[in-house]
Amino acid sequence: MAGPSIRIKQAGESSKSTNTSGDDSSHRLVTFLQSQSQNTLTRLYQKPSSCLSIFRLLRPLERQLVMNLLWLEMPVPAATMAAWVTREGKRPYHDALSNLARLHILPQSPVKHALNPTFKSSMRQAITGGGSSGSFGVLTENDDKHPPPDIESLDAYALERWETILYYMVSSGTGQFPTKPSQGVLYLLQRSGLMASVHGNTLQITSAGFQFLLHPPHEQLWELLLQYLQMAEERQMDLVEVLSFLLMLSATELGKDYSTENLSATQKAMLEDLRDYGLIKQRTATSRRFSPTRLATTLTSSSPPLPTSTGTGNGSQAQGFIVLETNYRLYAYTDNPLQIAVLNLFVTLKSRFPNLVVGQITRDSVKKALANGITAEQVISYLITHAHPQMRKNKPLLPVTVQDQIRLWELEKNRVKSQEGYLYTAFASQADYEYVLNYAKQLDVVLWENSSRRCFFGSVEGHANIRGFIERRSAAGNA
Amino acid sequence: MDKPSHLSVVIDLSLTQWTLCAQSTNPPGITLQDFLSQLLAFLNAHIACKDENTLAVFGAFPGQSVMLYSSTGEVTTTTAESTDANTYRPFRTLDSTIMSSIAERLDSYDGMTEEAPIGLVGCLTKALCYINRTITTALSSSQGGEGAAASVDPRILVLSVSPDQSSTYIPIMNSIFSAQKLKVTIDVGKIFGAENVFLQQAAHLTGGAYVQVERADALLQYMMMSFLPAPAIRQLISVPTQDRVDFRAACFCHKRIVEIGFVCSVCLSIFCQPVPVCSTCRTKFPMKTLQRLRDARPLAAPPGNAPPRPPVQKNGTTTPARPG
Repeated sequence: MAGPSIRIKQAGESSKSTNTSGDDSSHRLVTFLQSQSQNTLTRLYQKPSSCLSIFRLLRPLERQLVMNLLWLEMPVPAATMAAWVTREGKRPYHDALSNLARLHILPQSPVKHALNPTFKSSMRQAITGGGSSGSFGVLTENDDKHPPPDIESLDAYALERWETILYYMVSSGTGQFPTKPSQGVLYLLQRSGLMASVHGNTLQITSAGFQFLLHPPHEQLWELLLQYLQMAEERQMDLVEVLSFLLMLSATELGKDYSTENLSATQKAMLEDLRDYGLIKQRTATSRRFSPTRLATTLTSSSPPLPTSTGTGNGSQAQGFIVLETNYRLYAYTDNPLQIAVLNLFVTLKSRFPNLVVGQITRDSVKKALANGITAEQVISYLITHAHPQMRKNKPLLPVTVQDQIRLWELEKNRVKSQEGYLYTAFASQADYEYVLNYAKQLDVVLWENSSRRCFFGSVEGHANIRGFIERRSAAGNA
Repeated sequence: MDKPSHLSVVIDLSLTQWTLCAQSTNPPGITLQDFLSQLLAFLNAHIACKDENTLAVFGAFPGQSVMLYSSTGEVTTTTAESTDANTYRPFRTLDSTIMSSIAERLDSYDGMTEEAPIGLVGCLTKALCYINRTITTALSSSQGGEGAAASVDPRILVLSVSPDQSSTYIPIMNSIFSAQKLKVTIDVGKIFGAENVFLQQAAHLTGGAYVQVERADALLQYMMMSFLPAPAIRQLISVPTQDRVDFRAACFCHKRIVEIGFVCSVCLSIFCQPVPVCSTCRTKFPMKTLQRLRDARPLAAPPGNAPPRPPVQKNGTTTPARPG
């Protein structure tokens, strides 16, 4: 009776979830760690520095729960723990518990809760100090011949490295040939799907890459590092060593020289890669010391990982450089090729001055960006994060007309919404049809119905139920 | 919700009280040494929660108030650069700075005959000034940044061992009102001694937690659970508040804590007995009223048969304090 079922394929590409590190979502690294085995995690928790860095990436409520349990020797009954939270806190509390359980920090248990003993002892050690793990990095002796690099030069170095990568991405396929990042970086970009090779060997940016460019630097960094972690597994590197080195870096101090002597072979091999990404600086490739840059030391914090961008030189555009008017005109006070190239993704640039670029947001320019896979939200959030201090006085920050129009342009593209499902036709009688339809309505799976033609369309989830219902009914009818 | 928070800690460092506390057996006390080591673990935990969390520590010494540490680096000590790979460096600087500045001050108090009352008010006002400055600089510098959302979510934690000094009633009340205005939460941990009326009011009026520590050996756990949650997260995690608050005020004339007082009808100053002229605003009261009040006095407060403590006053209003 269930007639020819139709399946409609997802038409438009499903927009990738662009969950930024908002309040409700966990950090990307946390999500990655949750997919790891308990064994790996327990080995990772042996290092106090790893525990401290992971702890910082947790959400506020999770952090507080860990802290509440950290100094207790005995497990706490679940009922007691549930009494700690207020009524509004019930849902976040259960989320937090399951999140911590998946990290194997707080093993799930219906009766009593206690922290993972390895995590507990390492975290206590991190807070009280002491021990002999040496996990916070060994500083080199100060010698006068090689003073540690000053913070400005570190910043400049990190920025130069990072912008080389981004600029390479944004200008690929435009006929320009900027400085190429190292082979390792190119491979990483290709593996992460941010760039793909088209006809032969030239790399071209993908739609994921375009989206990547509009993310804040912090997220870009983690995106690449997570990809690096996944590659590390394939390269037979020990994931725990890679992770604990990254987490150690995040607990190091800017402007200090660290010794490579205590590093394992894997970690020494990582130095080269991290140097290419601009996370650390070494004087020579074989140097026995390294200094972390701001990119590395802010990995687990929310302070900006990159210092003031190169460019106008007065440093004022650190906060923002974009002025957007209600007439869709956009002024960008910058001469940074990277920022101009990124703007060029969704703005028709009209004229260029030594420290100012003027452009117009047009239907065509936004359509071009949408075609590249950039979403309207990403465009808007980029404009918001890089808005000029003058713009911040406005409320709302961006002109509403422009915001709405950008969204409308996106809607134009998504006029058709697709849903998978089954079409039920050829019912023997109107009564049959209504009976089944009623059942389907109770399940809340009806997407469309037409009673004159005795057919309706139900979603995929309901199919098994409806099918069973019809079969049962026809069997009863036949009997 | 996940924004950095600022914590100012005021430590009561009255040597006499700490000695009493260490000797106390019921409830078992705690030595200053143990207290400080637990406190440092707590402070480290605050910094551990978020890289951008800031901290300022003030010491209320007998007769003076000193800033012991601030994460903006205003207090520097001459501790040698140590290369210890086992400790997170910010923790190490924090711990050594606080310990050395406390030790430095305490050494100078040895052999004093009479201990001056501690500079609690000085600490409170310094902490408020510090917070005010961080808020204003955060606001002015973040005009281009996150805007007002970047403000620091500040709170003050007072760890007290000394009893109330009734002479400080007015300045403490004034501090409380400034804290309310700045939206600063004041938490109070009473580690030793009887309930502290003024600090209780401070915690109550600013929406903070007041915790009477019953087992000083578990002090760290008390602090972790009650004082570590930032104000933003207290909507989700409950912290202990008081169910009964002592709202008694101190009179302006003798600094006595009074249950029934006389209030100037012009400036709301409190007096323990009827006075002909208000000492604050110089208002002269008519002789007749004065006479009537004096006559009514024994009825209102029969001598030798003082009424019990006032009943629980929820949402009670306190008399605004004026400089006396």
